[in-house]
Amino acid sequence: MRLLRRLRRGQVLLLLVSLGVLVLMMLWKPYALIEGLQRGGLYALIALPMALILGVVGIINLAHGEFMMLGAYFAYWLGVYTGLDPLVAMIPALVAFALLGAATYLLTIRRALKAPELNQLLLTFGVAMVGAEFANLMWTSQPLKPHLSYVYSSMTLGKLRFGAYAFVYTVSAIVLLVLLSLFLRRTRLGRAALAVGQNPRGAKLVGIDINRTYLAIFSLSIALVGAIGAMFLTRNSVFPSAGSPYTMKSFCLIALAGIGNLPSVVWGGFGLGIAEALVLSFRGYGGWADVVFFAVLVAVILGRSYRRQTA
Amino acid sequence: MLAVSKLNHYYGKAHVLRDLSLDVGTESVGVFGPNGAGKTTLVHAIVGLVRPRTGDITFDGRSLLRMPTYEVIRSGVALVPQERELFPYMSVLANLESGAAYIPAARKGVPEALQASFEMFPILKTRTRQLAGTLSGGEQRMLAIARAMMSSPKLLILDEPSLGLQPSLVTELFHKVRDIGEKSAILMAEQNVRQSLKAVSRGYVIENGAIALQGPSDELLHNDHVRRAYLGL
Repeated sequence: MRLLRRLRRGQVLLLLVSLGVLVLMMLWKPYALIEGLQRGGLYALIALPMALILGVVGIINLAHGEFMMLGAYFAYWLGVYTGLDPLVAMIPALVAFALLGAATYLLTIRRALKAPELNQLLLTFGVAMVGAEFANLMWTSQPLKPHLSYVYSSMTLGKLRFGAYAFVYTVSAIVLLVLLSLFLRRTRLGRAALAVGQNPRGAKLVGIDINRTYLAIFSLSIALVGAIGAMFLTRNSVFPSAGSPYTMKSFCLIALAGIGNLPSVVWGGFGLGIAEALVLSFRGYGGWADVVFFAVLVAVILGRSYRRQTA
Repeated sequence: MLAVSKLNHYYGKAHVLRDLSLDVGTESVGVFGPNGAGKTTLVHAIVGLVRPRTGDITFDGRSLLRMPTYEVIRSGVALVPQERELFPYMSVLANLESGAAYIPAARKGVPEALQASFEMFPILKTRTRQLAGTLSGGEQRMLAIARAMMSSPKLLILDEPSLGLQPSLVTELFHKVRDIGEKSAILMAEQNVRQSLKAVSRGYVIENGAIALQGPSDELLHNDHVRRAYLGL
């Protein structure tokens, strides 16, 4: 009980501090705050499917960003040939990438599950390279982007005028977080995934088909990231190496949040997005934005290791 | 119900099961033997965690040899493993529910099965929200048994249930095992021959991977070899 109360106090403190920072930012650099929430929303949104497979069932997928990039190409070409809007293309992308995910799992990941993690890293790194080079061969390195008028819609709040569309990422990240949490807590497959992640042998012994669970969770994750790729395309151009930075950022976010902790992935994404936007808002110092991600990651991991020593 | 015939298994060159045969009807059966005799290998072979080199295992007339573990469990066998194999970051209640959730035949009876678990181990009822990984060793053992019973198995296999328990709990545990034996068949691997013999009606003594002795409990209790080697008399 005492521990619980202390934990609550810590959380309240954290909440107050973050609220304080938000208020300060709102007064000092409101555009950086808005830009940060939108950017962070996209980071969190892309990281969530990776958190599902890394954090819940423990598969490391370094090809995560490449699947998102392929999802964006899928939506782009579907748009060119059928005139489908990328946001509508998310639905066929979901189906197509579930199949692609299942095929990838059966052909590659399944064979490395029992091997040490390094093998999974090398294997999925290979899958990432195949994905990127495939895109390069098929569609060259030319950035592609559909023309969509609605992404330029703007909003006015008091004296501020800003692009409103990109909040779709922020909202989607929160919606996906809620849906995934419900899925893991309420559905039989979700609970099986948690069980497999915590103890694969124990999962077998309660009658769970663990191979089918790995397959289902992996294809779900790839289906989600494929559909997110379509959403990514509405504001960004797609090119063969568009995905790889997001693999790194998702990986950092998950390491930051603590493996298996989905809500912290989203809050961490917002935090890092805001920090990046803040750095970008100083003219001439924009190049430091990429450093922020890793600086925060190093700081958090250092902080945790000190805490473990004192505890 | 369960018939194991002429099982052979090797770890590398070590011959760990030698032509091992045994059967379990509807009664409680004990498998006794020292460390390294092959007890755990035997129960792992039954549930498909280990694939024996030769021999056969049938349950209700169906061979279990090629069945994946989850199918063996769904066909009515439950194992309480030595290492308990709970889900450490799930609550006690979620662990119990997981015992029935993936067994189609057991899904409907969850409320009754929970009731029965709490009657058997009242301590679990006071800990439903606690994470399984924070329970003491003895409580984890009880939870593992209760989780296995949630599937209403026809055959319950216990692998060294008394391992690491304090003496007072061991006595209590074997009383519970005897109670469970009235509902389902039991196959129990144990080193604590003195106390566990009272909980079963029949037993096998395994030494170096082969059956050395078998018979009804009271016969084993009076056997000279058993008295000398296992009871210290």
